[in-house]
Amino acid sequence: MDYAAQVTAFLLGQMPKLLAGFAVTLTVAVAAIPLALALGVVLLAPRLSGRRLPSGAVQAYIEVMRGTPLLLQIYLIYFGLPLIGLFPSEFTCGVVGIALQHGAFLCELFRAAIESVSQRQWEAGRAIGMTQLAVFRYAILPQALMKVLGPLGNQVIVLIKDTSLVSAIGVMELTLTGKMVIERSAASFEIFVAVALFYLIVTAAVGAGFRLAEQRYAGRL
Amino acid sequence: MDVLAKNLPYLLSGAVMTLWLSLAVVSLSTLLGFIIGTLGAVGGRTLRALVTAYIFILRGIPVLVVMFLGYYAFPAFGYRANAYVAVGTAQIVYAGAFVAEIVRSAILSVPAGQFAAARGLGMPRGKILMHVVFPQAVRLAIPPLLNTSLTTIKQTSYASVVGAWELTWAAREVVERTLAAFQIFLGVMAIYFCICYPLAALSRWCEGRFVVAH
Repeated sequence: MDYAAQVTAFLLGQMPKLLAGFAVTLTVAVAAIPLALALGVVLLAPRLSGRRLPSGAVQAYIEVMRGTPLLLQIYLIYFGLPLIGLFPSEFTCGVVGIALQHGAFLCELFRAAIESVSQRQWEAGRAIGMTQLAVFRYAILPQALMKVLGPLGNQVIVLIKDTSLVSAIGVMELTLTGKMVIERSAASFEIFVAVALFYLIVTAAVGAGFRLAEQRYAGRL
Repeated sequence: MDVLAKNLPYLLSGAVMTLWLSLAVVSLSTLLGFIIGTLGAVGGRTLRALVTAYIFILRGIPVLVVMFLGYYAFPAFGYRANAYVAVGTAQIVYAGAFVAEIVRSAILSVPAGQFAAARGLGMPRGKILMHVVFPQAVRLAIPPLLNTSLTTIKQTSYASVVGAWELTWAAREVVERTLAAFQIFLGVMAIYFCICYPLAALSRWCEGRFVVAH
């Protein structure tokens, strides 16, 4: 058998394992994305409140998340929680770590999108007798959503890629599966090319989805 | 707290390693990204397509996977390389794609009319790039480049997963020995923060400045 046929046969043989790992990767992402989005929205109110204490606290949180590696945050959760008597699974630790980090980044994206809509529109809305909430709902939010779709898509892609880090605490997702398969074979490089392709397919699909959504939404606005 | 104090010298030697790795990866990936990004903006059709493919592929894969690819690529092609070279090379190629994308779009944001005008004055291509395009593009590119550098520095911590000893690996060793997860990991996060925060602050300072200037 020549090289290409050998490698193809080997990769096909490992495919069930890789697919199982891929499913775990997708599960981590699907669990972490809504959590991160929710955290980003929750942090938004104090961040925009204009009051020094809540706004400053959220800002400090965002700075800490921005200035430290996600891997260490995951380690801190995974190795730290048992010391205070909590024993969540590796999966939970990984999802929570990813959500805490990306929630901070998403809050910043949302804030930037809202603040990029002209502040005059608040005044104009108030002047024609709309409540603050109504101005936000009918004037600011639709425009901010339009502006946030692009950066949001990028952030979701970064999040999906970051799920590979939970391999470091032993969640059997795609990257760790690749590593495990390697240890029993000699085709280490080829396996990781396959792993990379799996990631590329998801991130490309998500990127295309967000671009499509952006076009659709721009058409309706 | 004394667990942290007792192990601080060891952790700081890890931090020195992290700094060396960061310095090498940030400088070389910036250089690589500048060359590739420029080719992607002003090169011929084939070259532009190749650069687009490079950026698309690398940006769609987790850096950890690229590091594993780098780690196994050297032996697969018959070379022996130590973990730092393998992981560092992988990171340079990865971060280079992000730099290339920033540089390419910064160059393309300079109005094409300026290029045509300079051609009309008889300036050669290289001179147009040096004196007309780059001064404007660099200004636009600096804040996002600082952000990318920040991300790259944080990503050097993933080298510990692949097999290169640095700050994060040192932290794990100490935690496995002392079980003081909170003290050690929070202490190490503080070290990373001290490295990263100045860059983040500089990036914000630049953003306020250059946007107005353009």
